[in-house]
Formats: sequence, structure tokens, C-alpha cells
Amino acid sequence: MTDDALYVYGVIENENLDLDIEGVGGANRAYTVDYQSLSAVVSDIDTVEPERSDENIERHDEVLQTILESNGGRTIVPMSFGMGFKNERTLKNVLRNARPVFTRTLREIDGMVELGLKVLTEEGATVDPEELTAEVEERFDRISVNVVENELFSDRLVINRSYLVERENRDAFDEAVGEFEAAHEELLVQYTGPWAPYNFVDIEITAQK
Amino acid sequence: MFIVDDILFQPFVSILDAIHTLAVTEMYDIEGIQNELKENQLLFELGERSEAEYTERKAELESELETAELAHDQLDNKNIQIRQ
Repeated sequence: MTDDALYVYGVIENENLDLDIEGVGGANRAYTVDYQSLSAVVSDIDTVEPERSDENIERHDEVLQTILESNGGRTIVPMSFGMGFKNERTLKNVLRNARPVFTRTLREIDGMVELGLKVLTEEGATVDPEELTAEVEERFDRISVNVVENELFSDRLVINRSYLVERENRDAFDEAVGEFEAAHEELLVQYTGPWAPYNFVDIEITAQK
Repeated sequence: MFIVDDILFQPFVSILDAIHTLAVTEMYDIEGIQNELKENQLLFELGERSEAEYTERKAELESELETAELAHDQLDNKNIQIRQ
């Protein structure tokens, strides 16, 4: 058992992983720390509070995406950025205490990924937001398990949604986005993912870090 | 004026303090700057803003955000002086 600080990306069902990958805080390896039926995906790190830089955030996402997409696709409960633990013992304590929640969440999101859809107007153009929202719901709700409306942080942003989608419906979702784009050449569409389902898990770890 | 009323209900807060709080909040709109940062990122990703434009705007906004956060911190500590 190591006494070094650990950075946690997310939690998967028990599996032994050791990846050569760029991680948060300059790490060059991500591996698993097990507790019973769970494995936390971690990197060694020299601080429990890594800097919230663009580079670190990108590496956090990239490690999660690699776990999510490799080996035929895994289910991972993602941690939000910044989860550093003092050592392996404190991490295992958290896994022990939160095991029922992690286990339930892994079951709830099993075989699913998150996809993001943002729709913007061209500069100076206007659109009927209600009409467009109705159309988006009509096209995408039926091929997703759940949807979250995110903040409209720009005046030009009309739709900003995250969808929880079964892996087997990915192609259907891609196709629906293609059709939507073809029907709306006057709009800008940003389609992202697959992401670990950040917007569909609600686990907050605040103590014992 | 819900906000003014709200602030004035606190004990030992003068009208000047209340106006001052409103002015700082208005001038240093942290949420507004954070939204502009997100918009800048999105427009860059969509190819509407060049990398040079994106980088320049990002630096400006980050500097504004730092100033705004400092102003809010100082407001919380009552360290801001009003100049006539």
C-alpha cells in the first residue's frame, strides 16, 4: 500500500488496470486501487489539491474517455475534477463508506454514455427558442434514457443539453444529429462525446480527503 | 428594490455601504465574465474564432475575472475605499 497522495478519476467495477497515459499533475500512469467489488482509477500525485488548469482538466477527461471507450467499453462513475486523497488508506475508507452508492450508480448507468448537444444561432440571427426546443425534444428524447438541460451561458446559445444514451443507440443518435444539422444549415451545432456520464451521477465526496 | 431592502435589513449597514455593495457587484460581475469565458471557448471550438482571437480574449477575461474576484474578496473584508 502506497503512502503517496492519489488523484482519482472515477470508479469502475473491480478490474485490474495499469495504463501508460498522461494524467493530472504530470502523471504518466493511471492504475486501479481496489476495494471489494470496486476499483478506483487513480494516478500518483504530489498534492491533494491539483491546479485547475486547462491542461489538468483535459487530462482528467482524457483518462475517463480512455477507460470509457477501451476494451469494448466500460461503465465508469466519474469524479468531478480535483479529487485528491492523502493516501491509499483514506481512499479505501471512502470506497468502503460509499460502496452502496457507487454500486447502485454503476448499475444505473451500466452500458450508457453521455453525449452533449449545443445549438447556437449565427451572430445577429434570431430563432424561435420554443419551436426549436420542441423539435430537439421530438428528435432526441426517444433515443435517450435521460436528458439534462444545461445553462445557456451565451445569448446565441439556444440549446445546451446532455443526453444519457445506451451504447447501442449511439449510431441512431449520431444519425439524428446529422439529420438535425442538415435541416438547419442556419444554425451552428456542436455535438460532443462520448463522455463519462458526469451530468447523471450525483456523488459528492467532501470528507476524509 | 429588493436587493437594497435586503442589504439594509442587516444591522449596522449604512446606505453608503449598501450602494457601494451594489456598485461593486454590478461592476465586477463574476458570473458574467465566467459566461464570456465559456462562450469564447465554444466559439473557438466551432471555428468561429481564430486561435489568436481566442487566446487574446481568454487572457483579457481571465485578467478581468481576477480583478473581479479580488474586488469581491475586498468587499467581503470591507477593504474597499470609495473615492469621490
